[in-house]
Amino acid sequence: MTGLSRRRFLQGFAGVGAGVLSGCGGLPFFSGAKAHVVVVGGGFGGATAAKYLRLLDANIQVTLIEPKAKYITCPGSNWLFAGLAGLDQLTVDYQALQDKYGIKLLIDRVSSLDAGQRRLRLAGGQSVSYDRLIMSPGIDFRWDAMAGYDQAAAEQFPHAWQAGPQTLMLARQLQAMPDGGVVLLAVPADPYRCPPGPYERASMMAYWLKQHKPRSKILILDAKRSFSKQALFEAGWTKHYGYGTANSLIEWHSLADNPLLELDKPNRVLTSEFGDRFRGDVLNIIPPQTAAYIALQQGLADSTGWCPVRPLTGQSLFDDFIHVIGDAAHYAPIPKSAFAANSEAKACALAVTSLLNQTPVPEAHWLNTCYSLIAPDHGISVAGVYKLDAADAIAPVKGAGGVSARADAQVAAAEADYTRAVYRNLIADTFG
Amino acid sequence: MGYVSAALLASALSSMAYAEIDARAMAFNCWNCHTDSNLDAQSSIPSLKNLSAQQIQQALLDFKYDKRPATLMPRLAKGYSDTELAAVAEYLSRH
Repeated sequence: MTGLSRRRFLQGFAGVGAGVLSGCGGLPFFSGAKAHVVVVGGGFGGATAAKYLRLLDANIQVTLIEPKAKYITCPGSNWLFAGLAGLDQLTVDYQALQDKYGIKLLIDRVSSLDAGQRRLRLAGGQSVSYDRLIMSPGIDFRWDAMAGYDQAAAEQFPHAWQAGPQTLMLARQLQAMPDGGVVLLAVPADPYRCPPGPYERASMMAYWLKQHKPRSKILILDAKRSFSKQALFEAGWTKHYGYGTANSLIEWHSLADNPLLELDKPNRVLTSEFGDRFRGDVLNIIPPQTAAYIALQQGLADSTGWCPVRPLTGQSLFDDFIHVIGDAAHYAPIPKSAFAANSEAKACALAVTSLLNQTPVPEAHWLNTCYSLIAPDHGISVAGVYKLDAADAIAPVKGAGGVSARADAQVAAAEADYTRAVYRNLIADTFG
Repeated sequence: MGYVSAALLASALSSMAYAEIDARAMAFNCWNCHTDSNLDAQSSIPSLKNLSAQQIQQALLDFKYDKRPATLMPRLAKGYSDTELAAVAEYLSRH
């Protein structure tokens, strides 16, 4: 957005706020002091929450705590494998959030949380108090799921499921692989970050291999029986990569009844429960996931490893003053995506401003759209519109959402274009 | 002068018609894709800036009732009542 339109935008919000707050005269509930909301995690959820809190109510002070000064987006990171983008094009910073919206940024890590005192201690020694806390810490990995695959092994066999050095390592391994080599892509059971991501990754790798190492093969070893946008992916793989033929660049194997149990590092072999052995030249192992460790440490997750929330407000079931959004939180059936995190953040920001101003929390509406590229000129999408049902559970609105219509080349090309345009605009809406 | 007052009154009445719907929660989600940055970049996704409430509402209804083909919007517009779409259009035209 341009500065001018943003200013107009802010004035527009100020007008709305004045209407909603008429007679309140600011925030008497806090006896003159401005309310302080702390947001932990500067990904799509946290950055959006911080920005929209300030847009909704400029009287609220917002502090964003994030360990990294720059953030590399997971969306778009599969493009690296096709040679369509570099990490620098996927890197954003927090300058606009500070300059345009007056958000205070602390580049630091949370070391402990005193929920009773509503106070965070940071690794740098600083103490930060909050009236409300929004946690958007993302994911961590379950390193106990496959024997032999731990954090140290991931330095040799990347998961590349948090964008950055891991993504680069995997791209370089692919480039160094001999023609005729085998890529193993191990995919976890639901739920995990970005359900269609592994299949887009296979597509982008196949696009590059087709040009440079066409005798190679990608074996997707899947803990699921089916996957997101499966019919559209398989149709695209048939069109572009010989799927279903002996020379296919991609094979998909469901191991739902025969899970992968062990990594044999020296031999680069994955072994399943029934003793099937899969040998690869490049091993991309995406482990099962949980909410980020900070959320687990603070007791915000349940036995599933994810954080249960009251969906209307995003409030943790375990603490009324802590809201959890994004991949760490349990918003099923909304998938764990950057787009969904942005949408959850907006609903949460509306709820938090309402709670702080003691006004009714408006009805929540969530939206998700996930685009995937099968080839640079072939995009597909899945969308969902979500509301609370009569039992206050999140439910998809019937008759809405769903996947792309069976694509002709023109639709596929349009959706490839939208894939890139939506990426740029989601970045602008979140960080800009 | 009288004309301006009449216009303001009409605008106020039209806002009141949707007063029971808080369009923000729905409208915010439009900006995930339809940002003003489209004005500068060559984007295939149109900006909603400079569109009237009536234009946005008609487009949303046309998407919802399959009168206007598109890859994504028909799937999204079907998630909302006609009244909600009108409220969203009215909100977006003001912001």
